[in-house]
Amino acid sequence: MSGRPLRSFAVLGFATTHTALAAEQLLKDLGVPVTPIPAPTSIGGALCGIALRLDPGDVERAETLLERAELPVAARGEIEDV
Amino acid sequence: MPASSSPRPVAYLDHGATSWPKPEQVVHAVTRALTELGGNPGRGAYAMALAASRAIFESRRTCAELLGVPDSRDLIFQPSCTAGCNLMLKGTLKPGDRVVVGSMEHNAVARPLEHLARTGVEVVVVQGDRTGLVDPDDVEREVRAAPTRAVVCQHASNLTGTIQLIGDLADIAHEHGALMLVDGAQGAGHVDVDIRVLGIDAYATSGHKGMLGPQGVGLLYLSPDLDVQTQVQGGTGGGGSESPDMPIERPDRYEAGTANTPGILGLGAGAAFLITEGARQHRREAELARQLIEGISTIPGFRVLGPPAGAPRVPIVSAVHDRVDADRIAFALDRTYGIAARAGLHCAPWAHRTIGTVDCGAIRLGIGWGNTGEHIDLALRALRDIVSS
Repeated sequence: MSGRPLRSFAVLGFATTHTALAAEQLLKDLGVPVTPIPAPTSIGGALCGIALRLDPGDVERAETLLERAELPVAARGEIEDV
Repeated sequence: MPASSSPRPVAYLDHGATSWPKPEQVVHAVTRALTELGGNPGRGAYAMALAASRAIFESRRTCAELLGVPDSRDLIFQPSCTAGCNLMLKGTLKPGDRVVVGSMEHNAVARPLEHLARTGVEVVVVQGDRTGLVDPDDVEREVRAAPTRAVVCQHASNLTGTIQLIGDLADIAHEHGALMLVDGAQGAGHVDVDIRVLGIDAYATSGHKGMLGPQGVGLLYLSPDLDVQTQVQGGTGGGGSESPDMPIERPDRYEAGTANTPGILGLGAGAAFLITEGARQHRREAELARQLIEGISTIPGFRVLGPPAGAPRVPIVSAVHDRVDADRIAFALDRTYGIAARAGLHCAPWAHRTIGTVDCGAIRLGIGWGNTGEHIDLALRALRDIVSS
């Protein structure tokens, strides 16, 4: 491990890989940095695909953009990571 | 003369069965899937699996762009057009339903409907004419006769090349509260398909014919409001894994099991190729078909099936000879001239019955990408030689 301090991240989960990838592309295109990660079981939704990790400060804007694009968020949560 | 040791034909004229050769982009995409994108798409977030997922995502979007599908989530990858037809029919029709279908259908539709008829679905067949065209007025008459769940029709005939008037049929179906379900195996890739304009409820198509992808992949468009019962259940890699039921979200709802990444990427590459080259390709195919029809028509004893030269059709040209059987013609074309063509009933006994060739079959020459005027000239010389010898 790097020894760097842990940071809090928001995580958004999606019902399908397609929606997750569409969300990733949309958010990146609109300047919201996101990183695909294995969907954490801790966020619920029984997800076994990918989720998007983002800065907690970007969540509200991201959710607004996703709702407008009809890309529904299936689960929400937080994780700590480096 | 054909090379004795290679199965590669001198002229490939069986595009109605499958396209060959493939554009270089398709070969590259399939190779890339096998060499660089080997992870299981949708089943992991490590780099290679994610790259495979992204590539499938992009392929779906490219296919949606080509076919005019507004939301690519409504475009489902299937193992074949036949699988798509089965899902579209068995997922929407239940015992007691009534369905009106044209008589030119391939077994991909005919057999599922025969199966459904044994479960209590009423199947009403509307006879096409001798050119293979199913008259919308005849369909309307049947749809008016009793409450009808769906009108089913091919986009184009794999026997005669006849292009059905599916837009008109969709209007008739919707006017009477019925669904419009289309088998587009011979349509997409050979003619423009714009789902938004056609207004149909479901459109199944092959990935490896006019769409120029590899074998083992097909597409099924389902309109957003159409409730189709799943026919295959299993893992999807997405959300709701603990649920005993398939997810309601598309495309996962209809895509249980590991995706055919090489096939899907190849199909996406074929669709991308058609987006830029399709219009030119369609014109070329139409011209070659006209050349072939006119040429065959001058050979004594041959009768070309389907619409006359110059009339709209997909580039499939079938013919019968009054003295030489179709199977003998196909054999001689292959063995003596290196020309790949198909004889028989083409998995379409309904269609052969419609146009009166079910007892003799036909020789079918299917034109597509890669064919040239030289191929047509060679085929015409060969046909003339075969029936005159």
